Amino acid sequence: MLVKKVQASRDALLDPEAGEWKGAATEVIALKGTPLTLQPSPYVKAAWKGREIGKVKSVRVSSLHNGEDVFFRFAWADPNDNDRISDQNVFPDGAALLFPLNGDAPLQTMGSKTQPVNAWYWRADFGEQGKNNVAEGLGTTRLTAGSHVVCRASWRGGTWQLVIARPLAVPDQASEAVQLRPGSAVKMAIAIWEGSNGERAGVKAFSKQWRRVEIEA
Amino acid sequence: MAEDNVGRIVGGKLVRPKRQLAMVFDLNKCLGCQTCTIACKTLWTREEGMEHMWWATVNTMPGRGTPRDWEKMGGGFVKGASRAGKLPTNEEFGEAWQFNYDEVFYGGKGNEAHLAPQGKPPTWGPNWDEDQGGGEYPNAYYFYLPRICNHCTHPACLEACPRRAIYKRAEDGIVLIDENRCKGYRFCMEACPYKKIYFNHVRAVSQKCIFCFPRVEKGVAPACSRQCPGRLRFVGYLDDEKGPIHKLVKQWKVAVPLHEEYGTDPNVYYVPPLAPPRLDANGNVDETKPRIPADYLRSLFGPAVDRALDTLKAEMAKTRAGGKSEILDTLIVYSWPKDIFPDFAKDPATLEWTSAETAKKA
Repeated sequence: MLVKKVQASRDALLDPEAGEWKGAATEVIALKGTPLTLQPSPYVKAAWKGREIGKVKSVRVSSLHNGEDVFFRFAWADPNDNDRISDQNVFPDGAALLFPLNGDAPLQTMGSKTQPVNAWYWRADFGEQGKNNVAEGLGTTRLTAGSHVVCRASWRGGTWQLVIARPLAVPDQASEAVQLRPGSAVKMAIAIWEGSNGERAGVKAFSKQWRRVEIEA
Repeated sequence: MAEDNVGRIVGGKLVRPKRQLAMVFDLNKCLGCQTCTIACKTLWTREEGMEHMWWATVNTMPGRGTPRDWEKMGGGFVKGASRAGKLPTNEEFGEAWQFNYDEVFYGGKGNEAHLAPQGKPPTWGPNWDEDQGGGEYPNAYYFYLPRICNHCTHPACLEACPRRAIYKRAEDGIVLIDENRCKGYRFCMEACPYKKIYFNHVRAVSQKCIFCFPRVEKGVAPACSRQCPGRLRFVGYLDDEKGPIHKLVKQWKVAVPLHEEYGTDPNVYYVPPLAPPRLDANGNVDETKPRIPADYLRSLFGPAVDRALDTLKAEMAKTRAGGKSEILDTLIVYSWPKDIFPDFAKDPATLEWTSAETAKKA
């Protein structure tokens, strides 16, 4: 995937329905449910046996940057918008981008002690402030104190449209957020949680392999 | 994150705490006054986001309880394997009703307006089926069942959490949720077969009874126990052979766990309820069958309830005949608080909390 450089304002590119996105290349990325065998909780393994994990099967992804910030735009079909925790048994929809923090990391295990990963996390009930997470293996996701991740989402006619954005470089988070440089490439993966299916934590749909993302100089 | 694996199965073996705190509730003394419920509520669950939380509850049995029909919601273990559970809804817990206090107390309409829940008429509450019970006149019956988190030896909640946010303390077996690790996924709520975990919708974390650990650490009994007017909530270490808990549970076996078949090895034990004798069609005492059906009590407390009741009856016969019963004397609690929670008899009013402790408590 190429993150093309464009001349456009941050505000425009944050809007998933803005005209700036019309010409952007779109890739359809197939998603799979996370494997039950890797769930760290014996309860989850038992309770989800025979249940469908990964309700969202594919997501359309585009990406642009303007030299300052990088923007990833997602669109996926979802018949209902689960945008808040309205009851004890209700879960919101979510999406995340995952990057190896230091070049490479095992994807299926959400990184490892020596090869951590960085997640940019949107959830439908969070509002515009996305969360920055670091993980060193399954069940170890940790929110960092600050986050430069900004999200804007809209749900209309059975489709979520979402932009997750962040400054390319975040020097104040050198050890807890991936640093992106125009003219370089990083690995990236995607996860989507379908709230109405009770998806949360490691129960989600994900792109099974790292994808190479090149940031245009 | 607790790395010691207490409460987890490691290499096919359950890692047990060094000691286990437990409670015994004598159901023959519970009058359903809800003082325990309110003692807990006022101490721990008054904040926004905790409106629906009742870490300590008392329900009438037979009854559907709180959350409604919790016994049918699954969770726990079957032959050691996790069993899927259901998440209760707000409606099943019974939402915190809002009342028209202003109108009644300050609106000048005190004579016409009556206190009533406002908005949509409620359909359930934490004590909805109070005093309904079972059976038919003249043999109707009921008893009260106080419940808290069972601080299980093999907690289903602890094992369910993918983030290891729940841990069991090695020194006393208290089960706690680390709210800094909890992300509100609620697998613990699903897995707990007693449905004693609640979701805080403001802080987006799961919360539950903490066995009043800040009090316990200072030698003070948990609030529900200390405040209980019936003085029926014994507190102590299960291995303390001199204490009432060990005697009632291990030595005399008159206190039995609730739904042991859920497989979590709970640490709250119940002295099962006796009842007045049945009356026959002519209004005469009929001792051939118990008023509370034995099968019903077995469905709650397992087959061990028979022996517990037999022992209690035998001890009562002994005292009626003029003899002495150490078991009944223990249950009576002649000297409060030292006979009911000997290690936690300190008066909470004598404690001085430092600001750091108060912050921790909050």
